[in-house]
Formats: sequence, C-alpha cells, structure tokens
Amino acid sequence: MGKLLEFRNISKTFPGVKALDDVSLDLNPGEVHVVVGENGAGKSTMMKIISGVYAPDRGELLLDDIPLGRNTPKIAEQHGIAMIYQELSIVPELSVMENIFLGHEIRRGILIDRKAMDKRAEELLASIGVKVSPGTLVKNLSIANQQMIEIAKALSKNARVIVFDEPTSSLTDAEIKELFRIITALRGKGVGMFYISHRLEEIFEIGDRITIMRDGRKIATAPIAEMDMGKVVEGIAGRRIENVFQRHFPAKGEILLELKDLCGERFQHVNLNVRAGEIIGLAGLVGSGRSEVVRAAFGIDPYSAGEVLVRGKKMPRNNPQRLAHEGVAFLPEDRKREGLALSLSIRENAVISALRRLNPLTIVDGRRERATVRDFVRKLGISSPTIEKLVHFLSGGTQQKVVLAKWLITEASIFIFDEPTRGIDVGSKSSIYSLMDELVGLGAGIVMISSELPEVLGMSDRIYVMAQGRIAGEIDREEADHVSVIQLAFSQTSASQGRSLQ
Amino acid sequence: MSTHRASSRRFRLARLPNSIFAFLLVFMVASLWVPRFFTPGNLSSLLLQSSIMIILSVAMALVIIAGGIDLSMGSVLSMCGVIMALCMRNGLHALVAIGIGLAIGALFGLLNGLIVTRLRVPPFIATFGSMGIAQSLANTLSGRRTIYWESGSHSSLVDLLKGDVVHIQLGPESSMVFYIPFLVVLTAVVVGGVIFLFRRTVLGAYVHAIGENEEVARLSGIATRSWTTLLYVISGALAGFAGLLMLIRTNSMQPTSGDWLEFVAVVAAVLGGNALEGGKGSLVGAIFGALTLYMVRNALALKGIDTSVTMVVIGAVLVIGMFLNALATRHEKKLSARAETENA
Ligand SMILES: Nc1ncnc2c1ncn2[C@@H]1O[C@H](COP(=O)(O)OP(=O)(O)OP(=O)(O)O)[C@@H](O)[C@H]1O
Ligand SMILES: [Mg+2]
Repeated sequence: MGKLLEFRNISKTFPGVKALDDVSLDLNPGEVHVVVGENGAGKSTMMKIISGVYAPDRGELLLDDIPLGRNTPKIAEQHGIAMIYQELSIVPELSVMENIFLGHEIRRGILIDRKAMDKRAEELLASIGVKVSPGTLVKNLSIANQQMIEIAKALSKNARVIVFDEPTSSLTDAEIKELFRIITALRGKGVGMFYISHRLEEIFEIGDRITIMRDGRKIATAPIAEMDMGKVVEGIAGRRIENVFQRHFPAKGEILLELKDLCGERFQHVNLNVRAGEIIGLAGLVGSGRSEVVRAAFGIDPYSAGEVLVRGKKMPRNNPQRLAHEGVAFLPEDRKREGLALSLSIRENAVISALRRLNPLTIVDGRRERATVRDFVRKLGISSPTIEKLVHFLSGGTQQKVVLAKWLITEASIFIFDEPTRGIDVGSKSSIYSLMDELVGLGAGIVMISSELPEVLGMSDRIYVMAQGRIAGEIDREEADHVSVIQLAFSQTSASQGRSLQ
Repeated sequence: MSTHRASSRRFRLARLPNSIFAFLLVFMVASLWVPRFFTPGNLSSLLLQSSIMIILSVAMALVIIAGGIDLSMGSVLSMCGVIMALCMRNGLHALVAIGIGLAIGALFGLLNGLIVTRLRVPPFIATFGSMGIAQSLANTLSGRRTIYWESGSHSSLVDLLKGDVVHIQLGPESSMVFYIPFLVVLTAVVVGGVIFLFRRTVLGAYVHAIGENEEVARLSGIATRSWTTLLYVISGALAGFAGLLMLIRTNSMQPTSGDWLEFVAVVAAVLGGNALEGGKGSLVGAIFGALTLYMVRNALALKGIDTSVTMVVIGAVLVIGMFLNALATRHEKKLSARAETENA
C-alpha cells in the first residue's frame, strides 16, 4: 500500500535555531500518527511545512509518492491537506460560518452562497456536537468553542490529510470525547492524520503510531502498542521522571485569599479560601464558571455581590492594580490575548509586571533584570538561543512558559493560575510543579484551575469542584480521586435536568 | 433548530455602528433646535453636500478595516478632477475624460497597493508619499488655476448630471423645494455597488480577516497581498470618482478642492466605528459618519454659529455615540450570557 504522505530528510533553520534536522516521517491512509516532543522540538514547524507555511531548506515532501514541489497554504489545501493550528487561527469579528469557510467559501458565480454555507455550517457543527448558531460572532464564544470552530473549519474541506496541532489543549473531557469520535470516523474513511499533543494519556487512546522528537531530530517512530507511558516520557524529556508531582506539605499559615459569597453573571455564592502553604485546585467542566470566578476575584470582571478578602482586608471591585499591589498574581487563560506582548522579547515580557520590584529606584537596572530573567529561563526550561528573542517566534509551549515566568518574577505571595501547564511538555511540567511546590514552601498560596484531573489530584491540598456556576463540593487531598471529582463536576448538571448520574 | 436560526438572524442593537446613534441624536437635536433644518430644501442640499464625503469615507473604511489607511485620497481626487477637466477643455468627450480620470485614480491605487504589499512600506508612509505626487501633478497640470471648459455637445453628459432627478416644489420658498440631484443618485448607486460586493462576495470576510490578522488570513489560503492591492485600487478609483462629482458640482475644477478631505474621511470612518487598528468596522457606519459630520456643520451654519465650534461639537457627538453603543453592547452581552447558560 502506498504512503499517503512522506517527509524525506527535511531540514529547516530559523535564525539561531535548527528547528528540523534531517527528519523523515510518513503517514498511511486511515492512520493516526501521534507526534510528541518537548516544547520547541520542531513539531509545529514540521506540520507547517506540510501546510505550506514554511518551505524546507533541504529535503522533500511527497504526496502519494509524488514530490509536491512548491507549496503554499492554497496549494496544500487543493491537495486535500487541512491543518488545525496550535495558535487559534480564527477571526473574532467574523461569524462562525464566515470563519469555517474563510478562504474556501461556497460560491455561485462571484457571489457567496450564504444559504448553502449556513446549512453546511449547521450540519458540521451538529456533527461535532457544538451548540452555537452559524451567525454568532466568534469573539462571543468561549475558547473551547473557538477551538471546536477550528476543527469544523478543517472538516469542511473534506481533506485527505488532517493535522491536529494540540487540538485538545483548551478542550475538556466531553469535547475531547467528541473529537475522538470524529477522528475515529475519519480514520474509517481512510483519512490520514497527524496528531500532536502534550496530554500523554490521550495519545494511547487515539494513536496508531507514535513519533518522538527532540531538538529538531526524530528520536523514534514505533507502533503505539509497543510503547508505554514510561518510555514516551523518557523519550520526550531525555530522562526518567519517577514522580511528576513532587509535593512536600509545609505547615499551613494564615488565610491569604478568601472569596465570600461571590456572585456574578456566571457564578453564584462562591465561597473559597487559600492559606499560606497551600495549593488549591479548582476543578470542573469548561463553562462551569471557574475562570469567571477568578477573573472577578482579581478585579478584571465585575461581580454583583459578595466580598474578596486578601489577608483579611476587603478588596475594592474592578481594581486589578490593587490586588497586584497586595501581592496577587494572575495568569489568565488566554495567554495570547491577555498574557503576552508578542512583539516584545522574552526579557521584556518577563519583567513587565516586576519592573518596579527589579528597579526600585525606577532606573532600569539592566544587569539585575537580565540575571533574574536568565534564572527563570533556566528553571522553566525555556528553549531559546537568547532572552532577547521576540516572543512571537517562540513555540507555543515556550510562550506559555514566558507567561509563567512573568508572574513568578513578581515575587507575589498569592498566585491564581488558570490552566498553568496548558501546552507544556512533561519534562517542563514536572519542573513547574516543583516550582509551585517551592513557592508554597516559602509561604505562598496558589489557586490552580485545571482541566487535567491528574494534575489537580497530584498537586492540590484541597480541591473545590465547580458545576454550573456553584461550588458543588470541597474535597481534601486524602479523599480525592477521579470518581469523586467527576461526580461533583456533574452533580448539579444532572440534578437540574432531572436525571441522576449512573 | 428553527428557533436557533431565528436567533442568529435577530436584529442586534449593538451591531449597529456608533454613528447611527450619533446620527439619530444629531438629527433629532437639529430638527428641534434649528428652525430651518428640517425642511425639504435643506435636507436635499445636505445630501448633495455630503455625497462626495460619503464616497471617500466608504473607500477609507474599506482600507481601514483591512488594517491600512489611504492618505492620498484627497489629492488623487484633485488630480483626477483636474485631468478630467483638462480633457474636456481640450474637446474630449466627457465619457472618455471620465474613463481616463477613473483609470488614473485606479492606477494611483495600484501604485499604493504595490508599495504597501511588495515593498512593505507602512500604508501611512506609502500613501503620504503618493499624496505628494498626486498633489504636485494636480498643481503642475492646472498651473494652480481653476479649470473651466466650454460647454458643448462633448460635455453634455456633465451638464445632464448636474441636474436633478426629482424636483418637487412644495411651497414658494426655496426651502420648500425637495430635489434629488443626479449626483446623489450616482453616489447611491456606486456606494450600493461597493456594499453589495462587500456583503455578497468574499470581499467583506477577507477584508476583515486581513485587518484582524494577516497571518491567519494567509494560513486560510487567502492571497492577502493581491487582495490588499485590490483594496487600494478600489480606493483610488473611488477617489477619482469623487473628483468627478466635485467637477460636476462646481462645473469647474480647482487643484485644491480635495485638500484635507482625506482627514475628514478618516474622522467619518472612525465615527462609523472603524477602529484604526483594523479588523472591525462597517461601511454603513462610515456613511452615517459622513452624514453626521455634514449635518453638524449644516446645522451650526444655519444657526449662525462660528465654524470653529464644529470640531468641538463633532468630538462630543463621537463620544456620546460611542457611549450609547457601549450601553447596547453591554445589554447584548447580558442577553448572550443568559442564552449560553440556558443552552448548557
Ligand atoms: N518563525 C520563526 N522564526 C524563528 N524561530 C522560529 C520560528 N518558528 C519556530 N521557531 C523556533 O523553532 C523551534 C521549533 O519550534 P516549534 O514551534 O516547531 O516547536 P514545537 O515542537 O511545536 O513546540 P511546542 O510543543 O511548544 O508547540 C523553536 O526553537 C522556535 O523558537
Ligand atoms: Mg507547537
């Protein structure tokens, strides 16, 4: 049987980085080929060569055993290649329907056929279980739904090759299930798929073959059945990781942050607190109001009733500066829009919130700044030849690490992290976990929102589970397991629908 | 499903551009407060006065939504007008003159487009440069003097276009004459055509995508450079068309008639909700922006208020319009939040 697609000895260099070094790889029809590797290993670069964004310096790309020659996004699309990019590639001001068909509209003559597109969009959305109408502006959708729109966009092209670059990083279990159902159906139709992810549990569920990359090189390709978690982790990180979640449990101190009966548009009567020395997990389904609660608490969004207390002091509403001043750091969910200035360097981004601390006399102390930044770059394993590299050119996971560095450098004592390890490789994840452990050891308190259950269970002292805008329950570390958290996450949903969870 | 569809089609208050709120506000205030404002004659002349600016602001909005700007508009208007007038003075048939004028406008647009997309010069600089070129061409060709032509069979088209399509005498005074000049009809047809293209072809979606994030547009397989170039071509041709309107209205052509009009067009477009960073905005908004500007000017003039106050009033109108729009947006957000929780 012929190969659907093949990379032959592909190399690609960016200024200062060898992103791909003589990589060969292939894809069979009806196959899900998983690609894993640390942040900056070159996974996205490789996929962008398939979709015609980058041209390789050396090597060639074959489609049905025929060299492809010149490639552009348009040519790739004409060959039946569709890609779901790691960074959301949608236009917020356009409607769902316009986004799905952007670049390949259904036309009648030169006019676009809105009716046909509306109908097709509705079918597509229904087929992937998304309940939004095609006319909705994309900017009004949650990140998870925006991601699903990207998936619908790729599906709308009836492609033979589909690349998924971290499609699940902002989805939760229900949506991931839906996605996997679609992937299984596509596999049955003979579509070949590349699948990149840092969520290692899922690759065993969906993959047929796996390729591990490191530093622009291919380490190994093997059928997934011949691999196990330990081998994959070792392949990615280059070392054995016995226990990802390192926790010491320091004595708990005073209550640092407390929400009392907080009510807002998307959440009601939220009570929670964090003590010094504690990591609090905030679990729940996407849309259960977790992000909304912490955004309101930090003063970004308004709330209608209740109180936010920092060390017992009542905080004013809508005043993030005040909370930052009291030593609260907030890592938002949408790192691209709210966490980073893409056209600034790693250093500039990292110090932007800590300028006052690093330069107490308001004169910039360049030496000290650079030393501090280098320290965090090393601790977080940020892969870049220099700290002056523009954030725009970093790999997705590396950008996430820069956002983390930015808040860690502020030396805050209360951290609110919304999905802190999204898109981060296993090796670095474990470094971030030990950094968090170190922070609470020094008397900080952490609130961590996470959709990854193992992370919540592994890191938290206590877990609050939210469902439909309310705290459905609070579980101690000793009593927490998958079942108890999931049951709570679904509790009110099922009750309100008059059904009980089986 | 059917209720689903209906809700997506529902009229959305917040989706209306700011300028419509501003327009209605100014219209009501002016009608109540300025005695001779709400008369058939005045409303007709208001339409006539603002038609050139409507053309320019639609063109400007198109470029601005795509993340660019076209500062050469005013001088391209003057230059094209001068060229058309010269052609007619030399006995060329009006149709030929118009063709040449529009083609040269489009050519200037092409130049702008190529400089921006191929040489990667920022639009602000590129179009500022061609503004200089167009202006000096206009000055040189005209010898800095107003150009007249002898009216004859070759210019009968221009004479015809100067007339009215509708002319109804509602009373003895001139303020009671309701008229719709050919110019206004012409403007409506051209603007309608652009809006049609914007809504019913891929143009609208592409312009938004390019302005919001050119990289995303490129990844979606859109030939961003060609489309951007096309926008500048359209903008240049529309500036040429505005030159034609100017020439018809004044029955002559001054090389300075387009001065500063590009800035007024920017203000009108911004008033219409077209953010200068690109990616959002609407053509209809720009039209109402232009209408609002000229209405403020007209009302103040009728009231006998010094024109230096005009910009102050326009600024206030802009702020109030945005405030009203913000209220509408907040209201809509609440509704959509409620809808999403009900869906879940
Ligand atoms: N356009 C660019 N200009 C300069 N360097 C780049 C560019 N794109 C990628 N790189 C560099 O190439 C390397 C590989 O990046 P790539 O995005 O392929 O990593 P990745 O494996 O997808 O990582 P992640 O898991 O974080 O998404 C990184 O060091 C990155 O900084
Ligand atoms: Mg990547």
